[in-house]
Amino acid sequence: MNGIHDLGGMHGFGPVTVEADEPVFHADWEKTVFAGFAQLAGQGLFNLDEFRHAIERMGNARYLTSSYYEHWLSAYETLLVEKGIVDGEELRRRASQLSEDPESIPRPQPQGDERLAPRVRTLIQRGASTARRVEAPPRFRVGDRVVTRVTNPRGHTRLPRYIRGKRGTVEMVHGAFVLPDTNSRLEGENPQYVYSVRFEADEVWGEHADGGRSAIYVDLWESYLEPAAEAGRAR
Amino acid sequence: MERHGHHPEPISEVEARVRALESLLYEKGLITPEAVDTLVSAYESDIGPLNGARVVARAWVDPDYKRRLLEDGTRAIAELGFGGMQGEHMVVVENTPTVHNVVVCTLCSCYPWPVLGLPPVWYKSAPYRSRMVIEPRAVLREFGTEIPEEVEIRVWDSSAEVRYLVLPERPEGTEGLSEEELAQLVTRDAMIGVAKVKAPAAAR
Amino acid sequence: MAPIRPEIANMEGAAALPRKNGELVFEAPWQGRAFGLAVGLHQRGGYDWEDFRQRLIAQIQASRCEPGGPGYYEHWLAALERLVLERGLVDRAEFERRVQEYRSGLRDEVF
Repeated sequence: MNGIHDLGGMHGFGPVTVEADEPVFHADWEKTVFAGFAQLAGQGLFNLDEFRHAIERMGNARYLTSSYYEHWLSAYETLLVEKGIVDGEELRRRASQLSEDPESIPRPQPQGDERLAPRVRTLIQRGASTARRVEAPPRFRVGDRVVTRVTNPRGHTRLPRYIRGKRGTVEMVHGAFVLPDTNSRLEGENPQYVYSVRFEADEVWGEHADGGRSAIYVDLWESYLEPAAEAGRAR
Repeated sequence: MERHGHHPEPISEVEARVRALESLLYEKGLITPEAVDTLVSAYESDIGPLNGARVVARAWVDPDYKRRLLEDGTRAIAELGFGGMQGEHMVVVENTPTVHNVVVCTLCSCYPWPVLGLPPVWYKSAPYRSRMVIEPRAVLREFGTEIPEEVEIRVWDSSAEVRYLVLPERPEGTEGLSEEELAQLVTRDAMIGVAKVKAPAAAR
Repeated sequence: MAPIRPEIANMEGAAALPRKNGELVFEAPWQGRAFGLAVGLHQRGGYDWEDFRQRLIAQIQASRCEPGGPGYYEHWLAALERLVLERGLVDRAEFERRVQEYRSGLRDEVF
């Protein structure tokens, strides 16, 4: 979707501000939220693509004015309610109640329940690769000239707006991976080859490219690409 | 925070000893709770060499390892025992005198957790994500990193599941250092690509 | 912000602070407290850091490393207790009594 999350190339956000000696988590609740992902996704309640899309759907103004872990929290709320795992009204009621009286619902204490922890540990150590084997060979090879499609889907995609309709050169063939566009809608893994494609700065930004030589490398699924019509041009 | 009037949860022997010591030392004015908290936070945020720093140091001292690292990042990084969630597919990109690499995720905040830990807030922020692809030199300058115009900057947008690690250039004057000493020099920012690694004299 | 002392943060060998991907690892809150107490007391002039470090190493070396046996911060705490008691910063009888009070639940203040 053409949401606010798709930030590449936007102006107006000001300088990058760096917090010196920044703690990994700024508050305890952030730790709880962080830890939630491996547990919830690890149990198959939702996949990573659904999760990202849920963040993208949180509302543009909310997205910009809330913190990173608030984005994650919003995604859990959205997905767990949409999937009927948690009741939205009950969630709101409890949040309200706890706002007024934080002690009114005791925090769950560890009780030696080891059912989920081993799975989470394995997930952290082994990861959850979305690479898949595909019978057909890759459509493109290193050195091929390609052009990215112009497409504006309302659903989830990993083709940033700034790179649509641009010509580039395939630099790497990464292998086949689950396609986020369909996986985020639970319409199948649909794995496709992912390519690292190099785009010259002036191709992408025109005369307003930053001074000096630069290029952007973007990882793109096969269905995002078409062969470029013209022959290769000199860099 | 005091919890009078509740049924105390059973505490272990070791917890009882820590609390006993704590309470006595506080009562005698030998230490304050605020000081303890501040200290723990300070040391917690003083990150030691990241896993990625060990990968970089190994590549600097061992040319065969470096070759394997650039050919198959995931496998070479796994040789050192690192890998897992958000690092299942690693590609290492090398900085040279003619090429400077820097990594961003414009769409969210994809980052190689197993080698660099969790990303700093600035990496996930709108200014970094929006500007790095369109004005890399200006952003690098804000980090204090000046890249000459004739050096090619490659901005890697982590839009899929491959995660990128920058192999920074080894600084001049580090020939005599051990692998462990080299690892201490390699910062997270250098492995994202917004900084270069400084030699020890300059780092102080 | 308190300055980091490299002689504390970068201890090597058996005395090295447990870290994961560069970050300090406390497996339970009491470990962080024990860390803070030892460093804080040193900073207040209670003892030289080297004195603590030597005791920590002695604790580690004296123990038999069984699985499930004492871990790093158990040794840390033991070193701190011995140091504090031997220096008379805390009286032994008072300490034992206080431990009992926490164990039995008579006291439960958390700071």
